[in-house]
Amino acid sequence: MIRAEQQSSASSSLQSLETRFGRRVSAALSEQPLAHDIEQRLRISRELAVARAAAVARVSRGSGVVQAGGDSAVLGSWWLRAASVLPLLVLAAGLLLVEWVERDERIRAAADIDIVLLADELPPKAYADPGFAEYLKRAEP
Amino acid sequence: MATEQELSNFLRGVEKRAFKRTVYAVRDEDAALDIVQDAMVRLAERYGDRPAEELPLVFQRILSNATMDWFRRQKVRNAVLSNLSDIEASAEDGEFDLLESLETLESTEGTESAADAVSRTQVLQAIEAEIAELPARQREAFLLRYWEEFDVAETAEVMGCSEGSVKTHCSRAVHALAKALKSKGITL
Repeated sequence: MIRAEQQSSASSSLQSLETRFGRRVSAALSEQPLAHDIEQRLRISRELAVARAAAVARVSRGSGVVQAGGDSAVLGSWWLRAASVLPLLVLAAGLLLVEWVERDERIRAAADIDIVLLADELPPKAYADPGFAEYLKRAEP
Repeated sequence: MATEQELSNFLRGVEKRAFKRTVYAVRDEDAALDIVQDAMVRLAERYGDRPAEELPLVFQRILSNATMDWFRRQKVRNAVLSNLSDIEASAEDGEFDLLESLETLESTEGTESAADAVSRTQVLQAIEAEIAELPARQREAFLLRYWEEFDVAETAEVMGCSEGSVKTHCSRAVHALAKALKSKGITL
Protein backbone atom coordinates (compact mmCIF):
# COMPACT_ATOMS: atom_id res chain seq x y z
CA MET A 1 0.00 0.00 0.00
CA ILE A 2 2.74 2.41 1.04
CA ARG A 3 4.80 1.35 -1.96
CA ALA A 4 1.87 2.08 -4.31
CA GLU A 5 1.50 5.53 -2.78
CA GLN A 6 5.21 6.16 -3.19
CA GLN A 7 5.03 5.11 -6.83
CA SER A 8 2.03 7.35 -7.41
CA SER A 9 3.79 10.25 -5.75
CA ALA A 10 6.93 9.70 -7.84
CA SER A 11 4.83 9.51 -11.01
CA SER A 12 3.02 12.77 -10.32
CA SER A 13 6.32 14.41 -9.40
CA LEU A 14 7.80 13.29 -12.71
CA GLN A 15 4.76 14.57 -14.59
CA SER A 16 5.08 17.89 -12.83
CA LEU A 17 8.74 18.11 -13.83
CA GLU A 18 7.88 17.21 -17.42
CA THR A 19 5.22 19.90 -17.51
CA ARG A 20 7.58 22.53 -16.14
CA PHE A 21 10.27 21.56 -18.60
CA GLY A 22 7.80 21.54 -21.51
CA ARG A 23 6.54 24.99 -20.62
CA ARG A 24 10.06 26.38 -20.28
CA VAL A 25 11.02 25.08 -23.71
CA SER A 26 7.77 26.40 -25.21
CA ALA A 27 8.42 29.81 -23.67
CA ALA A 28 11.83 29.79 -25.33
CA LEU A 29 10.20 28.95 -28.66
CA SER A 30 7.88 31.93 -28.34
CA GLU A 31 10.86 34.23 -27.90
CA GLN A 32 12.14 33.65 -31.42
CA PRO A 33 10.73 36.36 -33.71
CA LEU A 34 9.58 35.59 -37.25
CA ALA A 35 11.12 37.16 -40.34
CA HIS A 36 9.35 40.33 -41.46
CA ASP A 37 8.17 38.92 -44.80
CA ILE A 38 6.69 35.89 -43.09
CA GLU A 39 4.87 38.11 -40.60
CA GLN A 40 3.47 40.10 -43.52
CA ARG A 41 2.29 36.99 -45.34
CA LEU A 42 0.64 35.71 -42.19
CA ARG A 43 -1.08 39.07 -41.79
CA ILE A 44 -2.38 38.89 -45.36
CA SER A 45 -3.61 35.34 -44.78
CA ARG A 46 -5.36 36.45 -41.62
CA GLU A 47 -7.04 39.37 -43.35
CA LEU A 48 -8.12 37.13 -46.21
CA ALA A 49 -9.66 34.66 -43.76
CA VAL A 50 -11.50 37.39 -41.88
CA ALA A 51 -12.81 38.80 -45.18
CA ARG A 52 -14.06 35.35 -46.17
CA ALA A 53 -15.78 34.95 -42.82
CA ALA A 54 -17.49 38.30 -43.35
CA ALA A 55 -18.59 37.28 -46.86
CA VAL A 56 -19.99 33.97 -45.61
CA ALA A 57 -21.84 35.78 -42.81
CA ARG A 58 -23.36 38.22 -45.34
CA VAL A 59 -24.55 35.36 -47.55
CA SER A 60 -26.11 33.49 -44.63
CA ARG A 61 -27.79 36.69 -43.44
CA GLY A 62 -29.14 37.20 -46.96
CA SER A 63 -30.66 33.73 -47.09
CA GLY A 64 -32.10 34.39 -43.65
CA VAL A 65 -33.87 37.48 -44.96
CA VAL A 66 -35.40 35.49 -47.81
CA GLN A 67 -36.66 32.94 -45.32
CA ALA A 68 -37.92 35.66 -43.04
CA GLY A 69 -40.01 36.97 -45.99
CA GLY A 70 -42.37 34.17 -44.96
CA ASP A 71 -45.91 34.25 -46.31
CA SER A 72 -45.35 36.91 -48.95
CA ALA A 73 -42.42 35.00 -50.37
CA VAL A 74 -44.42 31.74 -50.39
CA LEU A 75 -47.37 33.49 -52.02
CA GLY A 76 -45.09 35.01 -54.65
CA SER A 77 -43.61 31.65 -55.51
CA TRP A 78 -47.16 30.15 -55.78
CA TRP A 79 -48.19 32.77 -58.33
CA LEU A 80 -44.95 32.23 -60.21
CA ARG A 81 -45.66 28.50 -60.47
CA ALA A 82 -49.28 29.16 -61.49
CA ALA A 83 -48.14 31.56 -64.18
CA SER A 84 -45.71 28.99 -65.57
CA VAL A 85 -48.49 26.34 -65.79
CA LEU A 86 -50.99 28.70 -67.49
CA PRO A 87 -49.59 28.42 -71.06
CA LEU A 88 -49.85 24.63 -70.84
CA LEU A 89 -53.48 24.88 -69.80
CA VAL A 90 -54.24 27.25 -72.70
CA LEU A 91 -52.56 24.90 -75.17
CA ALA A 92 -54.54 21.88 -73.92
CA ALA A 93 -57.81 23.83 -74.14
CA GLY A 94 -56.96 24.90 -77.71
CA LEU A 95 -56.27 21.33 -78.81
CA LEU A 96 -59.58 20.15 -77.33
CA LEU A 97 -61.43 22.97 -79.14
CA VAL A 98 -59.83 22.11 -82.49
CA GLU A 99 -60.67 18.42 -82.05
CA TRP A 100 -64.29 19.29 -81.18
CA VAL A 101 -64.68 21.60 -84.22
CA GLU A 102 -63.25 19.00 -86.63
CA ARG A 103 -65.50 16.27 -85.30
CA ASP A 104 -68.50 18.59 -85.68
CA GLU A 105 -67.54 19.31 -89.29
CA ARG A 106 -67.23 15.57 -90.07
CA ILE A 107 -70.71 14.97 -88.62
CA ARG A 108 -72.17 17.84 -90.64
CA ALA A 109 -70.60 16.51 -93.86
CA ALA A 110 -72.00 13.02 -93.24
CA ALA A 111 -75.40 14.50 -92.47
CA ASP A 112 -75.36 16.49 -95.75
CA ILE A 113 -74.60 13.31 -97.73
CA ASP A 114 -77.39 11.46 -95.93
CA ILE A 115 -79.83 14.28 -96.73
CA VAL A 116 -78.92 14.25 -100.45
CA LEU A 117 -79.27 10.48 -100.62
CA LEU A 118 -82.56 10.40 -98.81
CA ALA A 119 -83.95 13.28 -100.89
CA ASP A 120 -82.96 11.61 -104.20
CA GLU A 121 -85.62 9.82 -106.28
CA LEU A 122 -83.50 6.70 -106.53
CA PRO A 123 -83.89 4.56 -103.39
CA PRO A 124 -80.69 4.08 -101.36
CA LYS A 125 -80.83 0.29 -101.99
CA ALA A 126 -80.14 0.95 -105.67
CA TYR A 127 -76.66 2.29 -104.85
CA ALA A 128 -75.77 -1.09 -103.35
CA ASP A 129 -76.88 -2.98 -106.45
CA PRO A 130 -74.04 -4.84 -108.28
CA GLY A 131 -75.34 -3.59 -111.63
CA PHE A 132 -74.94 0.01 -110.50
CA ALA A 133 -71.37 -0.72 -109.42
CA GLU A 134 -70.64 -2.22 -112.86
CA TYR A 135 -72.14 0.87 -114.47
CA LEU A 136 -69.82 3.12 -112.44
CA LYS A 137 -66.77 1.06 -113.51
CA ARG A 138 -67.61 1.38 -117.19
CA ALA A 139 -68.50 5.07 -116.92
CA GLU A 140 -65.14 5.99 -115.21
CA PRO A 141 -62.71 5.87 -118.15
CA MET B 1 -20.81 33.16 -32.60
CA ALA B 2 -17.34 34.72 -32.93
CA THR B 3 -17.32 38.28 -34.24
CA GLU B 4 -14.93 39.37 -36.98
CA GLN B 5 -12.80 41.08 -34.36
CA GLU B 6 -12.68 37.96 -32.19
CA LEU B 7 -11.76 35.85 -35.20
CA SER B 8 -9.05 38.31 -36.21
CA ASN B 9 -7.64 38.45 -32.66
CA PHE B 10 -7.67 34.68 -32.40
CA LEU B 11 -5.83 34.25 -35.70
CA ARG B 12 -3.32 36.94 -34.75
CA GLY B 13 -2.61 35.13 -31.50
CA VAL B 14 -2.21 31.72 -33.04
CA GLU B 15 -0.61 32.40 -36.43
CA LYS B 16 3.03 32.43 -35.33
CA ARG B 17 2.78 29.15 -33.47
CA ALA B 18 0.74 27.61 -36.28
CA PHE B 19 3.38 28.64 -38.81
CA LYS B 20 6.28 27.31 -36.77
CA ARG B 21 4.55 24.04 -36.02
CA THR B 22 3.83 23.58 -39.69
CA VAL B 23 7.39 24.41 -40.66
CA TYR B 24 8.59 21.74 -38.25
CA ALA B 25 6.28 19.28 -39.95
CA VAL B 26 6.82 20.07 -43.62
CA ARG B 27 10.32 21.66 -43.49
CA ASP B 28 9.35 24.24 -46.09
CA GLU B 29 8.43 27.81 -45.18
CA ASP B 30 6.46 28.56 -48.34
CA ALA B 31 4.47 25.35 -48.02
CA ALA B 32 3.88 26.10 -44.34
CA LEU B 33 2.55 29.57 -45.17
CA ASP B 34 0.18 28.06 -47.74
CA ILE B 35 -1.02 25.45 -45.26
CA VAL B 36 -1.59 28.01 -42.52
CA GLN B 37 -3.49 30.25 -44.93
CA ASP B 38 -5.57 27.30 -46.09
CA ALA B 39 -6.37 26.41 -42.47
CA MET B 40 -7.28 30.01 -41.64
CA VAL B 41 -9.62 30.28 -44.63
CA ARG B 42 -11.22 26.90 -43.89
CA LEU B 43 -11.81 27.98 -40.30
CA ALA B 44 -13.31 31.29 -41.39
CA GLU B 45 -15.56 29.83 -44.08
CA ARG B 46 -16.84 26.74 -42.31
CA TYR B 47 -16.57 27.49 -38.62
CA GLY B 48 -16.84 31.27 -38.43
CA ASP B 49 -20.24 30.89 -36.82
CA ARG B 50 -18.83 28.91 -33.88
CA PRO B 51 -18.36 30.53 -30.46
CA ALA B 52 -14.93 32.12 -29.99
CA GLU B 53 -13.96 29.67 -27.26
CA GLU B 54 -14.30 26.73 -29.67
CA LEU B 55 -11.96 28.21 -32.26
CA PRO B 56 -8.59 27.04 -30.82
CA LEU B 57 -9.48 23.34 -30.87
CA VAL B 58 -11.21 23.52 -34.24
CA PHE B 59 -8.32 25.46 -35.76
CA GLN B 60 -5.70 22.99 -34.56
CA ARG B 61 -7.75 20.15 -36.00
CA ILE B 62 -8.06 21.94 -39.32
CA LEU B 63 -4.35 22.76 -39.33
CA SER B 64 -3.45 19.12 -38.69
CA ASN B 65 -5.77 18.00 -41.49
CA ALA B 66 -4.41 20.64 -43.86
CA THR B 67 -0.88 19.47 -43.10
CA MET B 68 -1.86 15.86 -43.74
CA ASP B 69 -3.52 16.92 -46.99
CA TRP B 70 -0.25 18.56 -47.99
CA PHE B 71 1.66 15.38 -47.27
CA ARG B 72 -0.86 13.37 -49.27
CA ARG B 73 -0.52 15.75 -52.18
CA GLN B 74 3.24 15.66 -52.02
CA LYS B 75 3.21 11.91 -51.46
CA VAL B 76 5.92 12.28 -48.87
CA ARG B 77 6.06 8.78 -47.57
CA ASN B 78 8.74 9.67 -45.05
CA ALA B 79 6.12 11.33 -42.90
CA VAL B 80 4.21 8.08 -42.63
CA LEU B 81 7.39 6.16 -41.94
CA SER B 82 8.41 8.57 -39.21
CA ASN B 83 4.98 8.17 -37.64
CA LEU B 84 5.40 4.42 -37.65
CA SER B 85 8.87 4.59 -36.16
CA ASP B 86 7.45 6.94 -33.56
CA ILE B 87 4.99 4.29 -32.42
CA GLU B 88 7.75 1.74 -32.21
CA ALA B 89 10.17 3.98 -30.34
CA SER B 90 11.30 2.71 -26.95
CA ALA B 91 11.53 4.70 -23.78
CA GLU B 92 15.20 4.25 -23.07
CA ASP B 93 15.64 7.66 -21.55
CA GLY B 94 13.20 7.21 -18.68
CA GLU B 95 15.85 7.62 -16.05
CA PHE B 96 17.09 10.96 -17.33
CA ASP B 97 17.40 13.57 -14.63
CA LEU B 98 14.85 16.21 -15.62
CA LEU B 99 15.30 18.11 -12.39
CA GLU B 100 18.90 18.81 -13.31
CA SER B 101 17.84 20.31 -16.64
CA LEU B 102 15.19 22.41 -15.00
CA GLU B 103 17.60 23.75 -12.45
CA THR B 104 19.90 24.94 -15.19
CA LEU B 105 16.96 26.50 -17.02
CA GLU B 106 15.76 28.41 -14.00
CA SER B 107 19.14 29.46 -12.66
CA THR B 108 19.71 31.72 -15.68
CA GLU B 109 16.66 33.93 -15.13
CA GLY B 110 17.35 37.64 -14.71
CA THR B 111 19.14 40.42 -16.61
CA GLU B 112 21.57 39.55 -19.37
CA SER B 113 24.37 41.31 -21.22
CA ALA B 114 24.66 41.73 -25.03
CA ALA B 115 26.97 38.74 -25.15
CA ASP B 116 24.43 36.78 -23.17
CA ALA B 117 21.74 37.86 -25.61
CA VAL B 118 23.74 36.55 -28.58
CA SER B 119 24.38 33.36 -26.73
CA ARG B 120 20.70 33.10 -25.89
CA THR B 121 19.73 33.47 -29.55
CA GLN B 122 22.05 30.61 -30.37
CA VAL B 123 20.52 28.56 -27.61
CA LEU B 124 17.01 29.27 -28.87
CA GLN B 125 18.04 28.22 -32.35
CA ALA B 126 19.50 25.03 -30.93
CA ILE B 127 16.26 24.32 -29.08
CA GLU B 128 14.29 24.84 -32.29
CA ALA B 129 16.64 22.48 -34.08
CA GLU B 130 16.17 19.82 -31.42
CA ILE B 131 12.40 20.18 -31.59
CA ALA B 132 12.58 19.83 -35.36
CA GLU B 133 14.49 16.60 -34.84
CA LEU B 134 11.77 15.02 -32.73
CA PRO B 135 9.60 12.34 -34.36
CA ALA B 136 6.50 13.94 -35.87
CA ARG B 137 3.93 12.60 -33.42
CA GLN B 138 6.06 13.38 -30.38
CA ARG B 139 6.65 16.89 -31.63
CA GLU B 140 2.96 17.45 -32.37
CA ALA B 141 1.94 16.19 -28.93
CA PHE B 142 4.64 18.25 -27.21
CA LEU B 143 3.77 21.48 -29.02
CA LEU B 144 0.02 21.09 -28.62
CA ARG B 145 0.35 20.23 -24.97
CA TYR B 146 2.92 22.79 -23.85
CA TRP B 147 2.95 25.51 -26.52
CA GLU B 148 -0.74 25.63 -27.38
CA GLU B 149 -1.46 24.75 -23.72
CA PHE B 150 -4.11 22.17 -24.56
CA ASP B 151 -4.97 19.60 -21.95
CA VAL B 152 -4.40 15.90 -22.59
CA ALA B 153 -7.96 15.27 -23.79
CA GLU B 154 -7.89 18.18 -26.23
CA THR B 155 -4.50 17.15 -27.57
CA ALA B 156 -5.79 13.61 -28.06
CA GLU B 157 -8.80 14.94 -29.95
CA VAL B 158 -6.68 17.05 -32.28
CA MET B 159 -4.23 14.23 -32.89
CA GLY B 160 -6.94 11.61 -33.25
CA CYS B 161 -5.38 9.25 -30.72
CA SER B 162 -5.91 8.13 -27.12
CA GLU B 163 -5.02 10.21 -24.08
CA GLY B 164 -2.53 7.52 -23.08
CA SER B 165 -0.74 7.94 -26.38
CA VAL B 166 -0.56 11.70 -25.85
CA LYS B 167 0.99 11.22 -22.42
CA THR B 168 3.51 8.77 -23.84
CA HIS B 169 4.41 11.03 -26.77
CA CYS B 170 4.79 14.05 -24.50
CA SER B 171 6.90 12.23 -21.97
CA ARG B 172 9.21 10.84 -24.63
CA ALA B 173 9.52 14.24 -26.27
CA VAL B 174 10.40 15.93 -22.98
CA HIS B 175 13.01 13.35 -22.11
CA ALA B 176 14.50 13.39 -25.62
CA LEU B 177 14.73 17.19 -25.58
CA ALA B 178 16.20 17.30 -22.10
CA LYS B 179 18.79 14.73 -23.03
CA ALA B 180 19.71 16.45 -26.29
CA LEU B 181 19.99 19.87 -24.66
CA LYS B 182 22.10 18.52 -21.83
CA SER B 183 24.43 16.78 -24.25
CA LYS B 184 24.99 20.16 -25.94
CA GLY B 185 25.62 21.82 -22.61
CA ILE B 186 22.69 24.15 -23.24
CA THR B 187 21.36 26.28 -20.45
CA LEU B 188 18.55 28.66 -21.18
